[in-house]
Formats: sequence, structure tokens, C-alpha cells
Amino acid sequence: MKLAGALFAAVIMALVAVPAAAEYADVVLNKRSEKEGVRPVVFPHWFHRIRFQCRVCHHELGFKMRVGANDVTMNEISEGKFCGACHNGDIAWGADRCDLCHSGKPGLPTGIFGGHETGGPGRW
Amino acid sequence: MRFRSLIAFTFAAALPAASALADVSGKDIYAKTCSVCHATGIASAPRYGHAGDWSPRLAGGSARLYANALKGTAKGMPPKGGNPAYSDAEIKAAVDHMLAAVKDAAKPATPPKPAAKDAEPKAAAPVAAAPAATPAPAAAPVATVATADALPAGDVNAFNRLLKPVGRRNPPPPEDGIHDPGNDGTHALLPPLTAYAGLPKSFAGNRVNWVEAIGTKKINPRWDRADPAAEPVVMDLNIVREVKGSMPDVVYPHKQHTEWLDCSNCHPAIFIPQKGANAISMASILLGEKCGVCHGKVAFPVSECRLCHSKKKDLARPAQTAAGAAK
Ligand code: HEC
Ligand code: HEC
Ligand code: HEC
Ligand code: HEC
Ligand code: HEC
Ligand code: HEC
Ligand code: HEC
Repeated sequence: MKLAGALFAAVIMALVAVPAAAEYADVVLNKRSEKEGVRPVVFPHWFHRIRFQCRVCHHELGFKMRVGANDVTMNEISEGKFCGACHNGDIAWGADRCDLCHSGKPGLPTGIFGGHETGGPGRW
Repeated sequence: MRFRSLIAFTFAAALPAASALADVSGKDIYAKTCSVCHATGIASAPRYGHAGDWSPRLAGGSARLYANALKGTAKGMPPKGGNPAYSDAEIKAAVDHMLAAVKDAAKPATPPKPAAKDAEPKAAAPVAAAPAATPAPAAAPVATVATADALPAGDVNAFNRLLKPVGRRNPPPPEDGIHDPGNDGTHALLPPLTAYAGLPKSFAGNRVNWVEAIGTKKINPRWDRADPAAEPVVMDLNIVREVKGSMPDVVYPHKQHTEWLDCSNCHPAIFIPQKGANAISMASILLGEKCGVCHGKVAFPVSECRLCHSKKKDLARPAQTAAGAAK
């Protein structure tokens, strides 16, 4: 019990001692964006999971469940792959609304933000 | 002002934000990998910024620390922090970053110690925001130690030192530290709290109880990209995983998962579909494997022990009673 208690305390501490302002599970995609002169992309999980189950993106559309593991380009998006499967002016607003997706602060690395508690990409 | 303190705040969150400073790679690696254990001392790992944890270790010289960080130790430090992809130089940079935060470990003078402890909350306090010119993020833990003397003594004993006030959770996009407020689109985005208004609450993660939200039809996320009427294939099968020690057993429910996920999201890449065939431990979960692939990143975080450890043990077993009596 003591050990469990200590571990519990440790994890609770991790929760509060590592505060993050970004919303839990926000993902920044910046493998190419900044190199190509646009702001990084911010993908909000919380917003999309209200509308879609995980399986739609991570099974049907084939997004790998690991940040940075998907090579997304604007060409593919316009062809209806990745974000473009929905952001096509039909299911959701289209790929012409650059500033809604490319809304990240310059300089942010690709990664998951918002106070995640478990290890990151490449760890499993 | 608000904005600047937010930047400082986000830094405290160990987000390797826009910074091109020298020790950035060590800092990134620390934030990504080492902080999992070293931020709070999981498994008695020496804590970041806690001089007392490090001073006995420093006695053996930094060469030994490098070696142990690279090779691992029997007491729980995994080789290269569990990530063999890092080069030796990167691991050394991460160690340097950790050591930089406890530079004063050798000097037992009183002021630096409480200051080091307070480095994180202070980042959010007005004083930390005051040194105008771009706060040098990489140097922040050390820098805060330096400015801490100037802090009013009252602040140190503020009632909540580390608890995040309600107002600072779920901030709207322009204030969340990752969206660029200078971008027009940012202001068109939905603030999380507006979306969560009608949803059942929880105590961690997004602070939304997603299981209840879907169960009570408060939200009705599509199972199919285009067809709103498609129904998920929900499978109701609980798997009980007995846990050694006194922690309640883990009940893994297929139902709550198949309401969101496809079988192939887990089988066979993460779990072999056979009861007991997978070795799962809290360490692997914290490292982002097994249940930690989702929990702690997108699904509810690891701090909610009871949601997983939900089956009370029969404490009458002899070994357990002995252990219980010893307490
Ligand atoms: C639905 C969201 C979305 C919209 C809308 C969008 N993008 Fe992108 N864009 C992305 C994603 C995701 C990436 C990949 C990000 C990465 O890995 O850096 C990307 C990458 C890019 C890249 C770098 C990669 C490449 O293909 O060259 C450029 C340049 C780019 N976008 C420009 C634009 C422009 C210009 C617009 C508006 C016409 C736009 N984007 C609209 C999501 C979007
Ligand atoms: C609208 C599409 C979409 C939906 C719905 C969605 N995700 Fe994701 N998910 C993504 C994208 C995009 C990424 C980033 C992939 C990348 O960086 O290449 C991601 C990444 C992840 C990651 C990797 C995080 C990391 O740190 O490596 C996990 C885990 C994850 N999602 C889990 C979930 C879960 C659980 C759900 C359901 C509650 C879900 N996702 C719903 C699009 C989605
Ligand atoms: C899974 C948890 C975990 C992770 C992740 C982790 N450590 Fe550790 N670390 C420990 C534990 C536990 C100890 C204490 C081990 C001991 O006393 O032998 C430790 C000890 C250390 C020490 C002191 C070794 C000594 O000789 O006293 C250093 C240096 C260190 N870790 C560096 C790192 C670095 C750098 C990383 C990231 C690349 C990292 N650790 C990631 C758990 C972890
Ligand atoms: C499964 C379909 C789907 C996929 C895939 C998808 N989105 Fe969306 N997204 C939506 C829908 C639906 C909306 C809401 C559209 C509306 O408000 O009209 C939305 C809205 C958004 C918003 C605006 C959120 C707000 O605050 O209003 C952003 C930003 C966004 N998506 C980014 C992305 C990015 C980046 C990707 C790719 C990594 C992506 N989306 C992939 C369906 C999807
Ligand atoms: C979130 C991850 C996840 C999803 C999604 C998931 N499973 Fe599982 N499944 C598990 C875990 C964890 C176990 C237990 C493995 C163990 O005990 O080592 C398991 C065990 C099983 C078993 C073995 C049961 C036994 O008694 O031996 C079967 C069969 C199975 N799953 C089928 C499915 C099917 C069919 C689906 C889709 C409808 C599915 N699973 C979806 C995680 C998942
Ligand atoms: C592929 C992603 C994924 C994996 C892997 C995963 N989960 Fe989940 N889990 C979810 C999602 C999504 C939910 C819905 C709740 C949420 O998002 O917070 C959930 C919900 C749960 C719940 C329901 C909580 C409640 O309130 O009823 C339990 C219990 C749970 N998970 C335990 C586990 C355990 C134990 C494991 C490892 C054996 C595991 N999960 C692995 C994604 C995952
Ligand atoms: C996402 C679900 C989940 C959460 C949340 C969770 N655990 Fe676990 N825990 C597990 C699983 C799965 C196991 C492995 C059980 C087994 O041996 O099969 C486990 C095992 C353990 C063990 C046994 C030793 C070990 O490492 O395997 C302890 C102790 C423990 N957990 C403590 C905790 C504490 C304390 C918390 C809260 C801070 C917590 N757990 C939160 C799923 C979880």
C-alpha cells in the first residue's frame, strides 16, 4: 500500500508539477510546415473525438497512433487523404482555410501537448 | 502581460517551446523522456531540480552519472532512459541539463534550495514575467533560482503552491501557449470550455468523462467517416488482470474501448488477443507502451488509478494478511 501510495502521490505530482496550458491531447504537426514557410499545424483531439470515434482516423483513414509517424503533405490532403478525407468542403470546411489548421506558434516541435503523462513517440 | 506569463508557464510545463538555446537538445530529451520519472521521482529516481536528491550521487563524479544513464542501473534507471534510439551524446546532454538545474547541490546555503523547489510555480507568478526581454527558456530553472531572492516572502507560502487554479485549465486557443495569437484563424477556433459545457465532468485529462458522455448520448461521435447512422460493433468482455501486492486488480473492459476503437487498433500490434499473454506493468504504461499508448496521452491519464484498478482484492489470502498486519 505504501508503495502504491507513493506511486500515486508521484503521479499526482506529475499532474500538477508539470502544468501545461495546452488542451490535453492537442497535437502539433511540424515535420514540414515550418520548413515550407507556414505555421505548424495544431490538431485538437478533443474537438474531433466529440464528432468521430478514434477508429475513423486511426483505422479507416490509417493515421498511425504515434505522433510524427504520419507523413502528411498538402498534396495528399487535397487528394482526399489524411485530414483531407473530411476537410474537403463536404464533411468539414475545405483545405483552403489555411489559417484554421496552420495556427501553431512558430518553432514548436512535432509532438503531443497538454500535459501528457506517458512517454512519447518512438517509445513503444 | 498575461500572455508572457503564459509563455513562462508553458515553459514550466517542460514544453520545449520556441527556443534556440544551447542546451535545447538535452532539454528536449529530458522533457520527452527523462521527466517521466525524474520530474517527480517515480521509483525513487533523483528528482529534477532537487539538489538533495543529487548531491550524494554527484559525489561519485559526473563520469559515473553519464555511465549509469547510458547503461542503466539495477535500481530502476533504464539504459538510455528506455530509449536506445538516443545517441550517447544526446543522453549526456540530457544529464547535463538535469545537472544544470542542481548546480548548487554542492553548496548547502539555504536560499537556493527553496528557490529551486519553487522554480515551477514561480514561472507563473508576476515576478518571473517581469524580466522583460524574451525570457531565456532553456535557462529558466536556473534563472528563476537567481531571481527568487527578489520574491516577496509571502508568495512562498501561498496556499496552493502547485495546484493549478481552475481558471487556468482548458484555456481558449489564443491563450494556450501552442496556438499563435497573431494568426487570424486562431481566434475562430472553439474554446474547449464552450464545447465541454454540457458534458459530464471528470478530474483529469480534458476533465470530461468521455465514457459517460458517449454512454448518455451527450455526444454521438460517428463510427463511420461519412455515415452518421452506422453503429459501432461493441464487444462486452472484461479481462481481469491480477496485480501482485495490495493494489486492486485491473479490470480491462472491452466495452468502453470498442465504443471508440476498432479491434485492430489494439490487436495484435499492442496486445495479443489472449488473456494473460501480454506482460503489462506500470513502468511500461508510464513509458507509453501497452495501455499507455492511449492512457496518459488522449484517453484518461495514469493518475486515475481507480478507473483501471477497480476490482477490490480478497484480502483474506495469508500472504496478504501478513503484509497487512505489518503496516
Ligand atoms: C485540414 C487542415 C489543413 C488545412 C486547411 C491546410 N493545411 Fe497545410 N498542412 C496540414 C498538415 C496536417 C500538414 C503536415 C504538417 C507537417 O507535418 O508539418 C500540412 C503541411 C503543409 C505544408 C508543408 C508540406 C507540403 O505539402 O508542402 C504547406 C506548405 C502547407 N501545408 C500549406 C498550406 C496552405 C497554403 C494551406 C491553405 C491553402 C493549407 N496548408 C491548408 C493541414 C492543413
Ligand atoms: C480526426 C482524426 C482523429 C481522431 C478522431 C482521433 N485521432 Fe488520434 N491522432 C490523430 C492525428 C492526426 C494524430 C497525430 C499523428 C501524427 O503525428 O502523425 C493522432 C495521434 C494519436 C496518438 C499518438 C500520440 C503520441 O503521443 O504518440 C494517440 C495515442 C491517439 N491519437 C489516440 C486517439 C484516441 C484514443 C482517439 C479516440 C478517443 C483518437 N486518437 C481520435 C487523429 C485523430
Ligand atoms: C522509467 C523511469 C526512468 C526514466 C524514463 C529515466 N530514469 Fe534516470 N533514473 C531512474 C531511477 C529509478 C534512478 C535511480 C537509480 C539508482 O539509484 O540506481 C535513475 C537515476 C538516474 C541518474 C543517476 C544515476 C546515478 O549513478 O546515480 C541519472 C544521471 C539519470 N537517471 C539520467 C536519466 C536520463 C538522462 C534519462 C532520460 C534519457 C533518464 N534518466 C530517464 C529512472 C528513470
Ligand atoms: C474524420 C473527419 C476529419 C478528419 C480526418 C480531420 N478533421 Fe478536422 N474537423 C472535422 C470536422 C467535422 C470539423 C468541424 C467542421 C465545422 O465546424 O464545420 C473539424 C474541425 C477542425 C478544426 C477546427 C476546430 C474548431 O475549433 O472549430 C481544425 C483546426 C481541424 N479540424 C484540424 C484538422 C487537422 C489538422 C486534421 C488532420 C491532421 C483534421 N482536422 C482531420 C473532421 C475531420
Ligand atoms: C483498447 C485495446 C483493445 C481493443 C480496441 C480490443 N481489445 Fe481485445 N484485448 C485487449 C486486452 C488488453 C486484452 C487482454 C490481453 C491480456 O490479458 O494479456 C484483450 C483480450 C482479447 C481476447 C482474449 C480474451 C480471452 O479471454 O483470452 C479476445 C478474443 C479479444 N481481445 C478480442 C477483441 C475483439 C474482437 C475486439 C474488437 C471488437 C477487441 N478485442 C478490441 C485490448 C483490446
Ligand atoms: C488504443 C487506445 C487505448 C488503449 C491501448 C487502452 N485504452 Fe483504455 N480507453 C481508451 C479510450 C479512448 C477510453 C474512453 C475514455 C477516455 O478517453 O478517457 C478508454 C477507457 C478505459 C476505461 C473505462 C473507464 C470508465 O470510466 O469506465 C478503462 C477501465 C480503461 N480504459 C482501461 C484500460 C486498460 C487497463 C488498458 C490496458 C490493458 C487500456 N485501457 C488500454 C483507449 C485505450
Ligand atoms: C490505464 C489503466 C491503469 C491506470 C490508470 C493505473 N494502472 Fe496500475 N496497472 C495497470 C495494469 C494493466 C497493470 C498490470 C497488471 C498485471 O500485472 O497484469 C498495473 C499494475 C500496477 C501495479 C503492480 C506492479 C506493476 O508495476 O505491474 C501497481 C503497484 C500499480 N499498477 C499501481 C498503480 C497506481 C498507484 C496507479 C495510479 C497512480 C495506477 N496503477 C494506475 C493499469 C493501470
